[in-house]
Amino acid sequence: MSTISKVTNHNKYTGMTRISLKDSLLSFLLIFFSFSLMAEPTLDEGKNLFRMNCAQCHAKNMKSKATGPALGGVEERWADYPREDLYSWIRNSQQLVAEGHPRAVEVYNEWNKSVMQNFPNLTDENIESILLYIDDVYVNGAGGAVAGAGGAQVVVQEKQTPDWLYYLLFGFLAILSVTLARIISNLNMISAQKEGRSYQRKTLWQTLTSKGIVTFLLFAAVVLGGYTTVNNAISLGRQEGYAPDQPIKFSHETHAGLNKIDCQYCHDGARRSKHAVIPAANTCMNCHRAIKVGSEYGTAELTKIFASIGYNPNDNTYIENYENYTNEEIREVYSKWIADNYLEANELESLDAEGERTVDEQWTGIVNSLTNDQKERIQGPIEWIRIHNLPDHAYFNHAQHVTVGKLECQECHGAVEEMAVLQQHAPLSMGWCINCHRQTEVQFANNEYYDSYKKYHDELASGDRDKVTVEDIGGLECQKCHY
Amino acid sequence: MDNKSIWVGEKDLVQDEAFLESVDKEFTGADLVENSEIVGETNSNRRDFLKFLGFGLGAATVAAGCDIPVKRAIPYVVKPDEIVPGVATYYASSFVSGGDYCPVLVKCREGRPIKIEGNDLSDLTKGGTSARTQASVLNLYDTHRLKNPVKKSSDSFEKISWKQLDEEVSAALASASNIRIVSGTLMSPSSKAAVEEFTNKYPGSRHISYDPVSSAAILEANNMSFGQAVIPDYSFDKAEVIVSFNADFLGTWISPIEYAKDYIKNRKVDANNPKMSKHIQVESHMSMTGSNADDRVLVKPSQLGESIVYLHGKLNGSGSNVSLSDKAKAGLDKAAAELSKNKGKSLVVSGSNNPYEQVLVNHINSLLGNYGSTLSMSNASMQRQGDERNLDALINEMNGGRVDAIILMDVNPAYDASSAAAFAEALGKVKTRVAVSYQYSESAELCEFIAPTHHYLESWGDVEPKKGHYSLVQPTIRPLFDTRQAEVNLLSWAGYDVSDDQAYLNFIKKEWETNMFPSQSNYLSFQAYWDNALKDGVAHNNSPGEELPFQGDVNLALSKVTKASASELEILFYESVNMGNGQFASNPWLQEMPDPVARTTWGNYLAVPVKFDGKKRFKALNNLEDGDLVELTVAGMSYTVPVIKQFGMEQNTVALALGYGREKAGKCGSGIGVNINPCITKAEGFNQYFNTEVSLSKSKGKEKHFSCVQYHHTFGVKAEKNGEVINADEADLAKAYGATGYQGSLVNRSVMFTSTLKALDESLKDKKERRDEYEHLNENTLYPFEEYTEEKYSQGHYWGMHVDLNSCIGCNACIVACMAENNVPVVGKREVSRHHEMSWLRIDRYYFGDAENPNVVYQPMMCQHCDNAPCENVCPVNASNHSSEGLNQMAYNRCVGTRYCANNCPYKVRRFNWLDYTTADIFPANQPTLNGEEIPFGADNLTRMVLNPDVTVRSRGVIEKCSFCVQRIQEGKLASKIEGRKLEDADVRTACQTACPTGAITFGDRNNKKGELSRKFEDPLNFISLEEVNVRSSVNYTMKVVNKEEYLDA
Repeated sequence: MSTISKVTNHNKYTGMTRISLKDSLLSFLLIFFSFSLMAEPTLDEGKNLFRMNCAQCHAKNMKSKATGPALGGVEERWADYPREDLYSWIRNSQQLVAEGHPRAVEVYNEWNKSVMQNFPNLTDENIESILLYIDDVYVNGAGGAVAGAGGAQVVVQEKQTPDWLYYLLFGFLAILSVTLARIISNLNMISAQKEGRSYQRKTLWQTLTSKGIVTFLLFAAVVLGGYTTVNNAISLGRQEGYAPDQPIKFSHETHAGLNKIDCQYCHDGARRSKHAVIPAANTCMNCHRAIKVGSEYGTAELTKIFASIGYNPNDNTYIENYENYTNEEIREVYSKWIADNYLEANELESLDAEGERTVDEQWTGIVNSLTNDQKERIQGPIEWIRIHNLPDHAYFNHAQHVTVGKLECQECHGAVEEMAVLQQHAPLSMGWCINCHRQTEVQFANNEYYDSYKKYHDELASGDRDKVTVEDIGGLECQKCHY
Repeated sequence: MDNKSIWVGEKDLVQDEAFLESVDKEFTGADLVENSEIVGETNSNRRDFLKFLGFGLGAATVAAGCDIPVKRAIPYVVKPDEIVPGVATYYASSFVSGGDYCPVLVKCREGRPIKIEGNDLSDLTKGGTSARTQASVLNLYDTHRLKNPVKKSSDSFEKISWKQLDEEVSAALASASNIRIVSGTLMSPSSKAAVEEFTNKYPGSRHISYDPVSSAAILEANNMSFGQAVIPDYSFDKAEVIVSFNADFLGTWISPIEYAKDYIKNRKVDANNPKMSKHIQVESHMSMTGSNADDRVLVKPSQLGESIVYLHGKLNGSGSNVSLSDKAKAGLDKAAAELSKNKGKSLVVSGSNNPYEQVLVNHINSLLGNYGSTLSMSNASMQRQGDERNLDALINEMNGGRVDAIILMDVNPAYDASSAAAFAEALGKVKTRVAVSYQYSESAELCEFIAPTHHYLESWGDVEPKKGHYSLVQPTIRPLFDTRQAEVNLLSWAGYDVSDDQAYLNFIKKEWETNMFPSQSNYLSFQAYWDNALKDGVAHNNSPGEELPFQGDVNLALSKVTKASASELEILFYESVNMGNGQFASNPWLQEMPDPVARTTWGNYLAVPVKFDGKKRFKALNNLEDGDLVELTVAGMSYTVPVIKQFGMEQNTVALALGYGREKAGKCGSGIGVNINPCITKAEGFNQYFNTEVSLSKSKGKEKHFSCVQYHHTFGVKAEKNGEVINADEADLAKAYGATGYQGSLVNRSVMFTSTLKALDESLKDKKERRDEYEHLNENTLYPFEEYTEEKYSQGHYWGMHVDLNSCIGCNACIVACMAENNVPVVGKREVSRHHEMSWLRIDRYYFGDAENPNVVYQPMMCQHCDNAPCENVCPVNASNHSSEGLNQMAYNRCVGTRYCANNCPYKVRRFNWLDYTTADIFPANQPTLNGEEIPFGADNLTRMVLNPDVTVRSRGVIEKCSFCVQRIQEGKLASKIEGRKLEDADVRTACQTACPTGAITFGDRNNKKGELSRKFEDPLNFISLEEVNVRSSVNYTMKVVNKEEYLDA
């Protein structure tokens, strides 16, 4: 038996090596290929450039108005003029207006003479990429062709490659073991013949139902069953990757990513409390009194905040006595707002059928988001779905980690600034916490509190110790988190 | 007798066999199988087991298949500026209940008050609190509060609106020509102003006040002696000798927190300069104050007056002719001698409610020149203003049809007046009856209208507890229900517009602007003055007046003193530390808190004296045993009460606490104990809290749930000699009583060290020898402790605690504070009777000295956080383990409930959740109900609002114990880390430490060599309990020192 297992191991290792070599080759080729394409306008580049430069003011769906006009169809609108005019418009719109370019003046006046930012650094290729992306989104909708391209294919391949190799390996090993069993059997027969004993070769059925095999199978079943049970039991209650639909389609990508709002502007508890704090609706209103129409969803989502807090976007006031409003009265206020925006966006005088459907849909969205079984009224807090749940017996304090430990939010929450829909990044399991406490260095410097760890300071000074981890100061003890 | 002998009660003193057996076991007193009365049929067999197993597996499978429930995160709509979720805010306010007063800081989390702390800025209390103060936060979340105004219709009450109430009551009052407002002591200037507004509006109205437990005689006596009906300002800190005649000034008398703080200043012992005041208590029953006294002189309740006369005669030189026992006379002679030696530095107080006896006390103080030094008439206390004679006059008026309308301002005379029945009957003759009440009570239910009031944590208010000392009450939460501030009712009926919900605040501000602001000079603008008073909670405008000369008629007083009765048996009624006179009955924390001396819970137990039979046994009156039910007949009224044997009582005297037997005090407080108020007698119209017409039957059986914790979790251990169980003090006691074969008490283990002040040097030497011996024993180990300590604890923090037993007065404030801070569940009478009380901190009460009139030492006992903890190494799952900061940690979610740790704990401080006390796991049969509640206590969301969100609520089947308030440790560490500075003593203070009125408990970092704890750890008086068992406890206690010549019996 020992020979067999050695062979298996050897085979397995060589197999693995081959896979990784091939993989690297593949990805290298892919990367090389994508670099060679850089000079041509691409959707990817367009997307990046759009997000970096345009998305602050222009809606991402290219169809609705935001601070600036919807960009969908921009090429058609500039079709009467040379392509260069569009380039210079984007690089420096005011110059074009000053020169009296008819299209430039028209757009300028249409948007109440608000000035578009200058982008002198964009090359022609850059602008073409952006236009390509705009057109793609306008025609194919958000998440169009771009998502499928590039890296994703590599990922798929990476996943698939090992599978068939494993099967191959398994088949090979199975054949090998049958062969070896046969050889042993033959050798036994030969030795029996030599010694003159009679040897009855076992049938396959006899072999399979032999005591040894059955015991082995039972043993394997128990081990495997136990292993599976334990593993699944451990993951009970874990929700890594949990990304539920929220009552408001709030995008951290837009707020933290594009607009670079500091995490702690909204989550202001993180530096001073155990809770990071879900911001109150009045925190949202600090900005959204000015930005009343969203870049992505227009009035559909932002109106929910207004309906929660009782802000009337029609005349920019907080509604007095809002808590006593009936749903009908609330509907009146916000339907008007949604309808007005629809009319403006579509340049209509009165609501068409589509418009009425939009108003109805958005109103239903507001009602569904702000009410539930326990909360009957629209007024009052927005009940978000909680994503990061720690059990009640685990104490966690944000201030300790953010202010004292100086950790970045992303270390536990992942790249939130890239998440349009927020999801749980880390497993939030005890093992995960412990592991970090083992590895993370304590911020000893410039904090007099840690002066009481004299021995560690001495050791650090003498070079006997290169760092003090959280574990070293008792960070793995039960009552640091459970009390 | 040597100073090693201590005992907790009669059972261990006589080495009761059953008791000794129970001491050997950790879990006793109960069938560990569920009692069928809760669970129903529990004769489970093998088949049932299989069924349960099947159900369990099935349930687990179903549960595993379910989705994880969706949880919601609900933010504020508009976040209040002062609230950061997860961070506590503190507001200064004042706890006021009748004459009880304590300036407090209210800890609020997310707008919910969850804990009361003392206010350090107050001159009166300096941050101290009492058990009642600590427990008051739970009343806010009482499920039996009145939630809206109600009006009586036939036999029940129906809900009405405030508008309707105001209209109907105002109309009724307008047509009434004689209106009476009945209240307790009103310490609030604004309340008084509101009452005045009302009486101005209705000229036929009059305000009367009375106190549930009266001190009216002191007021009357001071009126006779000085022309001022006030309570003087006592300064116990200036007194070298204190003689108290049945005044429980540390527990219940007038202003106990303030007095305790002052009293203890002269009681702390400095081993290098041993000096302390002398306290002699003259009483019949062992009160909490008496238990702290150096010497106790025992007299019968009816002899109290004559004992004052005797002392007066001694000091006045006039002599007296009284019928006291020789022993009592000897004691009083000694007191007189001490007093004469300390003129101007002594204080005589009396709890007597006979004004002539109080006149004599005044005269004694005057003779001793104490006025102006240890007590003063110039800074009078306002904490008692009631006079029960008013109430009796009112009953007459009502019976005579001379009262048209009555307003009961949060008082309950139909229960707590001595003439309660007469009051209830007379009340029926009043046309308009309005109760302003917190909940349904015996009196409120007799009224037509009940106007529900705010809790003090929902109210605005002010207090003037002592002349020139002001204090504010501010709301810390929006009113939970449709209730209204008591004073607003009066203002509303007086025609004020109270539609603005700040109406009363504005009223108070006006009051302060006109009266308090002009009498101070620190602030130029009223706004600044007000803002600071509100922030600090207290304001002092002190301008002492002049002392007045004593003008009392001593001869008249001498002639009117209570004559000693010749009765065989007398009964004393005393106010208990927890219940008052029933005002606090609906508070389960206070019901479950043991009486400091008797250590009984959930009910009043008849204290009967014990007498040494000269051979071996301590016999109680009528051969009664603890928990026996007896028939007690007082003046023709018959009660069935359980008995507790009490050391240190006058023979032929029994005692019973007031405040029990409430009938309408919510689910929790109704029907607990017996109501003894009807047995109170009168002298000159004043309540006399004793009765001489008493008879007591023999035992009539046992109480079903005997809930005295005295013998629970005892950890004193017996010694053996020649294989026979004996006790180390056997020889001593036997010698004293000429008896042989006596076996008693717990000692020869270093549970406790005691000494007299005189023999302190000797005792310290003896203690040192013993500690050296223990150290020698402990050093013989394979694991040198010093090296280990150096390696593990030499840096970072190393937590420890110091308890000064000379400061601990046994008031139990820490116990309730611990329950509030750590979400310790209430278990109810039945569970207590089964030794299942969950309190993390208990105060062991030990007797020492004379067996019949012993001294007492209180030992707060909590987890000792041993560095060589025996609980840790027996845990099979490592749920109990040690931290690098010297804490003995308990991980609840790891605990599987083997209870090995509790078994192995030498201090018996670990508690097991036998049932689902917290109602966290919803299986009805697992949840104990209190006093027949339908929903178990704590199962509703209202009561759960009091929980501390930083502490896990433990579920069934796990062990829990004191954590040294680890949540506070972590909070303090974080605060200093954030500020980037060293941790200071003030950053981490445990709940028991902050609650203590006398500063007996010190917690801190032993590695902080400049800290208070390190200083206290150097005290030569220190000892470690059970040091010889080498568990390396982190708690140091001090030797208890009493200032007496010698133990009386030696």
